[in-house]
Amino acid sequence: MSADNKRRTFIKSGLVALCLLPATASAKQRYDSPLSTNRLRPPGAVSEDNFTGSCIRCGRCVEVCPYRCIEPLDLRQGVNAGTPIIDVENIPCYLCMKCVDVCPTGALQRVAQDQTRMGVAVVDHYTCVSWQEKILCRTCYSVCPFIDKAIRLEQFKPVVDERYCTGCGICTHACPVLQTAAGKNGKAINIEPVYAYEFSLPESEITAVDGGL
Amino acid sequence: MLWLKKRSWNFWRLLVQTLSFALLITIPLLNYYLQFDFIQGWYQSISFGDLWFVSPLEGLERILVTRELYGPLLVGMALPVVLAFLCGRVFCGWICPIHYLSELSDRIRRLVTGKKQIKDRWLLPRWLLWIALIGELLLTMIIGAPLFVFLSPPGLVGRELMRLVFFNTLAIEGLVVVAVLLLNLITRRFFCRYMCPLGGLLSLVARRRKLRVVIDPTSCSHCNQCDKACPLGLEPQQGGGEYSQCWNCGACVDACSRGSLTYRWGSDEKKTQKTN
Repeated sequence: MSADNKRRTFIKSGLVALCLLPATASAKQRYDSPLSTNRLRPPGAVSEDNFTGSCIRCGRCVEVCPYRCIEPLDLRQGVNAGTPIIDVENIPCYLCMKCVDVCPTGALQRVAQDQTRMGVAVVDHYTCVSWQEKILCRTCYSVCPFIDKAIRLEQFKPVVDERYCTGCGICTHACPVLQTAAGKNGKAINIEPVYAYEFSLPESEITAVDGGL
Repeated sequence: MLWLKKRSWNFWRLLVQTLSFALLITIPLLNYYLQFDFIQGWYQSISFGDLWFVSPLEGLERILVTRELYGPLLVGMALPVVLAFLCGRVFCGWICPIHYLSELSDRIRRLVTGKKQIKDRWLLPRWLLWIALIGELLLTMIIGAPLFVFLSPPGLVGRELMRLVFFNTLAIEGLVVVAVLLLNLITRRFFCRYMCPLGGLLSLVARRRKLRVVIDPTSCSHCNQCDKACPLGLEPQQGGGEYSQCWNCGACVDACSRGSLTYRWGSDEKKTQKTN
């Protein structure tokens, strides 16, 4: 009898734990967007608030991408498991818009190439060799698909115009700077995802701003 | 073509299942190595050219979570729903890779141990399948994020195969598939019988289906062979073929030595009232 009871409570608590596990995991993960600097959603993605619900993880965007830049996340990202992400440092998006055409659930909406907003490029003036006036590098300017619009040169220094920047990440991929100092991204030009911009501010910068005030 | 007629339903089902599983392997290979995008995806969403299918439960979850209708999604869900409405859970019985892997492991075990089948340890009420469906949808709504889309065992098989071809890795959620297959040790198709929300949704749609396995009580000798053969434990001898959970796999039809069990199209039988 007692053994039976023990087993029953064990099964019960196990079931309760199983039910609560995804809830707690998701409560955390929901506000922990998998997006961060240089890790973006494919073009035409709906707002990050709706993306987890809209995407059915069918992986067709991953399969269709001719550049293999889209990869699916796994269960370490909680409820975002299976959703597509582009790591532009690895392979950037070349805006071929094939993934948008195959999405069956409207998580990726049809959008014109120049209307795409995956993120916005931000030049790090402290590591960019042109801004530091070490050498005349204009790699990001030359590779930008919207040259002289999204990235232009002002006194030989690259300047991003967020009105035109699609966040494709070709500039990040091409940037020759590889800074490995702690707390800094490797590249001198990085893509901040539009919807996760506020989440991706490092702790140190927030406190620095607070301290300044 | 006479040799075709002699084949059993088990043969045809295994052929369809094998082809369906081969599709899951072939599609990523074609996509990756030949850049051939005409066929794409797996059983969450699969496309043949412009003919797109979307798994009904995944689509329903997407609609419930986002509270938005999306035309192409509804069109993609339509054909699977119509198929389930007419033929029942045939996706589960004839296509689903989980049932295929379970059936393969059953056959291997039969070859190795010689035992026909293992004992079903836990026999739970059939309505647990409805609880699984309702519970899954409620949990999805409470959490505000779809769960079955990334934890569905049939979808995971496809996603893991794709990951293997594209990235040469496997993801940890693949353990769900292993767990589901291990549940077969408790009871045959334990997950499919009591826990699969997709099976629950397809059963719900299939309540007034056309294709059924019916029994002719006059020629039945009550030998129980069909009850033993049914992977879902539906007891076709007592009219289990009428239950909405039946996935029309045809194992009972093959098991019957007297031909008392047959597929029937249409609902003119008065027995059809007796659905669960």
